[in-house]
Amino acid sequence: MKARKLMFFWWKVAFLFLSRSLRATGIMSLMLMSAVAALIFLSALAMGVNDAMIRNSVSLYSGHISGFNIPGDVRKDALAVPGVAAVLKRLSNPGILVKGGKLHEAIVTEIEPREELQFTAVGRKIAAGTYLTGTKGDVLLGRSLAGKMGVSPGDTVDFKPFAGTGVITLRVAGIYNTGIDKLDRETAFCPLGSLPASGHAWSAAVFLKEGVEPGKIISAYRNIIGGSAEFKSWETLMPDLKQLIDLNYVSMGIVILLVFGVVSLGIACAFVIIILKSIREYGILKAMGVTSRETMLLIFFEVLLMNLFASTLGVILGIFLSVLVQSTGIDLTAYTSHNQYFTVSGVIYPRLTPFAWGVPPALAFLFSLIAAVWPAVLVSRRRAAEILRMV
Amino acid sequence: MIEVIGISKQYLSGRGHVQALSGITFQVEKGTNLALVGKSGSGKTTLMNCIGGIEKPDTGKVVIEGREIQSLSERALCLFQRKNIGFVFQHGNLLSFLTAAENIAFPLDLNGVGARVRDRRVAELLQLIGLPGIGAAMPHELSGGELQRVAVARALSHNPSLLLADEPTANLDSATGISIIQMMIALTRSQSCTLIMATHDQELIALADRSIRLRDGLI
Repeated sequence: MKARKLMFFWWKVAFLFLSRSLRATGIMSLMLMSAVAALIFLSALAMGVNDAMIRNSVSLYSGHISGFNIPGDVRKDALAVPGVAAVLKRLSNPGILVKGGKLHEAIVTEIEPREELQFTAVGRKIAAGTYLTGTKGDVLLGRSLAGKMGVSPGDTVDFKPFAGTGVITLRVAGIYNTGIDKLDRETAFCPLGSLPASGHAWSAAVFLKEGVEPGKIISAYRNIIGGSAEFKSWETLMPDLKQLIDLNYVSMGIVILLVFGVVSLGIACAFVIIILKSIREYGILKAMGVTSRETMLLIFFEVLLMNLFASTLGVILGIFLSVLVQSTGIDLTAYTSHNQYFTVSGVIYPRLTPFAWGVPPALAFLFSLIAAVWPAVLVSRRRAAEILRMV
Repeated sequence: MIEVIGISKQYLSGRGHVQALSGITFQVEKGTNLALVGKSGSGKTTLMNCIGGIEKPDTGKVVIEGREIQSLSERALCLFQRKNIGFVFQHGNLLSFLTAAENIAFPLDLNGVGARVRDRRVAELLQLIGLPGIGAAMPHELSGGELQRVAVARALSHNPSLLLADEPTANLDSATGISIIQMMIALTRSQSCTLIMATHDQELIALADRSIRLRDGLI
């Protein structure tokens, strides 16, 4: 009971020390608060860059999960398990496109135009003509493919699927340009039902709700469908993007550590100065019979309280800034327009995660503690008379 | 009874080794007061610090109430100091972040005294030092004389058996200095507390029961 009472007493002394040394506490708190807020915003921004790359890449065409060889008798609704935002059904038909004397190998993919427009970016990348309205027999060609065939919107092309014997005439409704060469060169889109029903396996682009892990959904699909159907997450399909995001995380970690290291050096120096400025007070405390352990405890409590106060303000400010920018985003299109991971949009929306708002205050506390070690040891090791003689 | 037996202390300074104290031995009866007299640099402060345990002598020992303080562990010495010793420094040395009342209450809190008893004792001491209305004042709001009075109250708040006052009136005018020493003597007598004060003021020496003159670390 007495120990608990004494502990409370030291908390009170630490609080009074900080609250009545307003100028010093204020300056230190301002430094800590700014550092924490800046790092929270920086972390949220870095998360936003990663999100933008993933969003751009998956929403261009593939979705978070790509499904292949899904048996024709499996209904699309079967894939709409909890955590899934949308399932886009696609039927891929490899074959030859013919215009005049020009023949080109292509994949004509039957899609649901309205759903595709809602979840993927192809519909927003129309370079000429219009997007698919749903009229069967209309086709959307990639710019490279259209260029090689010499067709424009309104022209017709013939398609001869490898799987069948007939020839289907399609009308070019529009030309898209994603900037992704493989897609623009090889793939054409037309509404589902434009080609003769084959009953063959279909593919799917699955879009997930925010925060849902693709692996979890893929496991669920394996239980539901099994067989020859194959599901791959964006991480598997786009290992380069996955690697880039991992690299971004590592760089972000290094930047945070470096930035905080520099800021912390400032905080550490300020902390040392503040403790040394008050060293006489610690000498008086020791002369009154305060033990070295209690002196260190007092310094620890001071660090803790200051961090609690400054970090709380820093977290609030950092979150406020992030949320403020989240609503509008930061448009970096000028710097991303030629980047394949930003083909849809170059707007970055900072995203707050437990990492983004949790690590900076934890680092602030850690660095402040480290900063307090030297003066704490100095104060606790010296005898009261030595300290009083020092100042 | 306070016994100081063969205390010696040497310092290493810019001028080389300085013998601050050389084999100091004396005794002080419980409840009496003693003035340590000497010029600046005679070793008064060092001797006070050694008696109070905030400085370790090179040789010799100090026995307070039958306990040899140099043989105590660091923690045991601290616990002994907080219960049995009160210090008044030259500049008062109140804790700047505490009010006058909180400064006086500090040794009581440190000794785990309950809030009600503590507050009563603080009020009583503020009354005794003649400053009943300054409890809420911060140290920087007090005059030199008030600071020293509060420092005396703080040093005596936990009823120590020994009060050490190092040049407590050095920065005060003569009249204020005398009144503070008179107050300190009266308070220590009423608490049967032994008082050892270091001073070079002849007027104050006359107020003490006994005096010891120090010169170059020797009695």
